[in-house]
Amino acid sequence: MGALPQRTEAVVLRTTNYSEADRIVTLLTADQGLRKGFAKAARNSRKRFSGGLEPFTRAIFHWREGRGTLWSLQDAELLDGHYGLRDDIRRLALAGYGVELVELLLEEGEPQPAVYSMVCAFLAYLATGGDPAVARLLLELRLVNDLGYIPHLLHCSECFRVFHQESIRFDTARGGCLCLACAGGSGFEISLGTAGSLARTLKVESDRFAGFQFGELTLHEGQKILSQVLRSILPREPKSLRFLAQL
Amino acid sequence: MLGSLPAFTRLEAELSKLPGIGRKTATRLAFHLLRTNEQDVTALAEALLELRRKVGFCRSCFHIAEGELCSICADPQRDRRRLCIVQEPQDLLAIERSRAYDGSYHVLHGALSPLDGIGPDDLKIAELMQRITEESVEEIIIATNFSVEGEATALYIAHLCKQNGVRVTRLAHGIPSGSDLEYIDAGTVQQAVLGRREF
Ligand SMILES: [Zn+2]
Ligand SMILES: [Zn+2]
Repeated sequence: MGALPQRTEAVVLRTTNYSEADRIVTLLTADQGLRKGFAKAARNSRKRFSGGLEPFTRAIFHWREGRGTLWSLQDAELLDGHYGLRDDIRRLALAGYGVELVELLLEEGEPQPAVYSMVCAFLAYLATGGDPAVARLLLELRLVNDLGYIPHLLHCSECFRVFHQESIRFDTARGGCLCLACAGGSGFEISLGTAGSLARTLKVESDRFAGFQFGELTLHEGQKILSQVLRSILPREPKSLRFLAQL
Repeated sequence: MLGSLPAFTRLEAELSKLPGIGRKTATRLAFHLLRTNEQDVTALAEALLELRRKVGFCRSCFHIAEGELCSICADPQRDRRRLCIVQEPQDLLAIERSRAYDGSYHVLHGALSPLDGIGPDDLKIAELMQRITEESVEEIIIATNFSVEGEATALYIAHLCKQNGVRVTRLAHGIPSGSDLEYIDAGTVQQAVLGRREF
């Protein structure tokens, strides 16, 4: 107990009340990936945690080793509560979807610094009035890419030829985009423009959200592509997705 | 050792299901009840059963009630044009204690939670909208908690009410009255700065 607590920057993904006054907190940390922490008496001592044990809060946490892999959280210094999210139900719900995706897709304790800075930028963008459709497309695309599930976009997943028709098809189960000859009717139709936009987007630093302009078609088709990819890798359907659909 | 005392163990197990009661406290309470005279124990047991049998929820506002309507809905002095929306009956009691409000209430029995998949259908929101159309409500005062879930609920209800042309207000929040700024947590200060108003 004598050693000084460790210090880690993290975003709160979820909090669960535990007994009368304690809380279990799921964190996405800057350098250690997904971690869970136990915040003793958190509900009686807002001051100690800077009011910072709520989802979407970015803070510096001081912690000690606890039981098993559970950190024992000592206190927190608030960096950003992203309170702007609370002005709009769609942005708030989408932020919820973002953190649930991260929770479902990342392995506990596996460092994902790129995902961390991307998620921070995603929350900051939404909290300052960013476009929800753009935020969702960028988040999904980059998560899929960072975790190594990006489908083939600029050439056919089977014959590897570069496309020269405007109309192509997409099927996650067969690796991504397909030329019409290879597709033979499987998957769904998309435009080459959408595949190109997604590929170009991946060339931009993944913590940049502002300044993107996508056409209606790209947003619509991009959403369809990413939903199919995510369905193939998620262990279950995100609960927040059902919530988003109800808005 | 207590394993050979099934009645004692059973009481202990039931007590430890109560919020805030751990194993040790449950044992202490069970020993206490063992030493209590029969009359007092019977009174306690009857009070528990009566609670379950007689107390339910008001059919109008869903506050706890003994009978069809709660005492607030049954009171002709209360202003029915204003509805204060709270998450739980305890929140209603907190507002009543303030003596700052003489309108009516609507208890949602929870809050929207995107991450737990708790949507509008899981709360008394349809009932609220029905009241707004049937009773001539002029103002909705949203008093859900200032947590992510409470704020999500507030935004959702505000959106629905505005479609119905009802005035919507939200309880003010920020620095507690009578407190020194230097002792306030950073989250509260951050929100108070964002939510500052003309003076
Ligand atoms: Zn092909
Ligand atoms: Zn009532």
